[in-house]
Amino acid sequence: MIEESVSDLAIHGQVVEEFGSSTTSRTWYHYVLLAACVVFAAVSVGFVGSILQKSLPTWLHHPATVITGSGWQSPTGPFGGLAMIVGTLETSLIALVIAVLIGLGTSISIVFFIPRRLRNIVATLVELLAAVPSIVYGLWGYLVLAPWMYKSVDPWLNSWPFARTLFGDPSQQYGPSLLLAAIVLGVMILPTFVAISREVIAVVPQDLIEASLSLGATRWQVIRKVVLPTSRIGLFGATFLALARATGETVAVALIAGGVAKVQFHLLDPGTSIASWIATEFGEAQGNEISALMALGVLLMLLSFSLSLVSRWLVSRQRKVLAKV
Amino acid sequence: MSETQATNQQAVIERVPGHSAMQLKDVAVSFNGRVAVRDATFDIAKNRVTSLIGPSGSGKTTLLRALNRLHDLTPGAKVSGQILLEGTDIYRGDVTVTELRTRVGMVFQRPNPFPTMSIYDNVVSGLRFNGIKKKSLLDEAAETSLRSAALWDSVETRLKVAASNLSGGEQQRLCIARALAMDPEVLLMDEPTSALDPIATLKIEELMTTLKERVTIVIVTHNMQQAARISDDCAFLLMGEDRAGELIEFDTTEKIFNNPNDPRTLDYTLGRFG
Repeated sequence: MIEESVSDLAIHGQVVEEFGSSTTSRTWYHYVLLAACVVFAAVSVGFVGSILQKSLPTWLHHPATVITGSGWQSPTGPFGGLAMIVGTLETSLIALVIAVLIGLGTSISIVFFIPRRLRNIVATLVELLAAVPSIVYGLWGYLVLAPWMYKSVDPWLNSWPFARTLFGDPSQQYGPSLLLAAIVLGVMILPTFVAISREVIAVVPQDLIEASLSLGATRWQVIRKVVLPTSRIGLFGATFLALARATGETVAVALIAGGVAKVQFHLLDPGTSIASWIATEFGEAQGNEISALMALGVLLMLLSFSLSLVSRWLVSRQRKVLAKV
Repeated sequence: MSETQATNQQAVIERVPGHSAMQLKDVAVSFNGRVAVRDATFDIAKNRVTSLIGPSGSGKTTLLRALNRLHDLTPGAKVSGQILLEGTDIYRGDVTVTELRTRVGMVFQRPNPFPTMSIYDNVVSGLRFNGIKKKSLLDEAAETSLRSAALWDSVETRLKVAASNLSGGEQQRLCIARALAMDPEVLLMDEPTSALDPIATLKIEELMTTLKERVTIVIVTHNMQQAARISDDCAFLLMGEDRAGELIEFDTTEKIFNNPNDPRTLDYTLGRFG
């Protein structure tokens, strides 16, 4: 018995040695792989580094303006980023509310109420929608949703009590608006949210559901008291991923937000977002304006880094919760 | 075999006829027209442990799950025949399924406390599902059920701790306590010890022997020694020619293991197949 395992080890050792020290094969694949890795590292460092470097003048001379200043005077400056930051937050958060409310209902229905044969079809359709390029959503928002909102929805919204406080002066409205951008963003991130939240909900173990039913729970109680709490952390993860997609979205917002660099708290007034402002301004920018746009880019990068870090952390925590079950 | 015989000779209890918690009359379960188990006719006697044994695919679990209507969830599932609880057909139109399930509780193969709830919240979850909010009632039920599940002493001081901190055996006893909190008449157990180590298994088995004083137990088990050790009555199922499970024999465990009517039962309990 002992002899056997000794000989096993010997063979094993030999194999390892051959695999590890065969110099001919090591030279080429080892270095090719290493080279690929080095190229990637260099590209990443170069990319982040050059953006930081280009934005440096702004951070050195006008660090406050780019975050808290309003008004963007091209080409002389000042270049205030507050309108873009606020616009990004407004559109993304409203979009998120829309997507989470509709999306959660959709995910729950897909998992629990749609017949099994339809379930996979619907789930696949949702994932296909999540993969549609955003320019298509932007185009739809611009050509279909905007005229319809302007003709039918906006007048109705303006007839609400306190409409001016919430939506602004009707004479300032001409179609494109923060609300329109938020709605299109909401529609756009909805499939993303549904695709992830559906999976999170679907992996709640069946026997937990059966256990609660066996205690006399109704279906609704099972969902509210067991399924949603069990998948809670993963659902937050899905929310943050959807938010990350909304904040980074460029072209759709550029088409339909109105492109006005003004801090707007009136939702039917035109506004802009960081990403769409960069997209529309960079072509004619020079000198300090380039640096200011780069600084906005850094802000956007930080925002999306932190959002995806948070969502990754949440998803891994959800895995741990389920691993404990 | 000699072991099981010895165990059984010590545990000969005469069945009390006409005193059933549940009665099965010609019960069959099918999924989309394909029969999974059929011909199940037997009585589950009150305050006894009834075991369902048989090889994989013989329909034991399918039959067990028909007893608290868990198949209601499965599209295409159909239960025919009659299953009576205290004389009432549980599949009758006016029976509320949620109420039925409070009377016929269930413990699962894998210890499955609700992961987001504390020990306390797990135990009283069923009561809360059924609208009981009064703290004194919940506290009392929690203590009584945890005591019945022989868990109170080890968790008394940490009721607010997450249930996932308990060991596998403790988690399973927590699940038993959770089911007992509803004060059910019948407790269904689907291979409750298959995920547990031998010591935890022994504790659950001991628990079942004391629990049958207050609740009728139906247990599915793959472990024949377990069936012999703890059950009073035993149903033996087998997969038929057409791959549908069927009831071969039902009798006292003593009879099934020592002197069954059907030669196939003897073959199985002797370990000749399965």
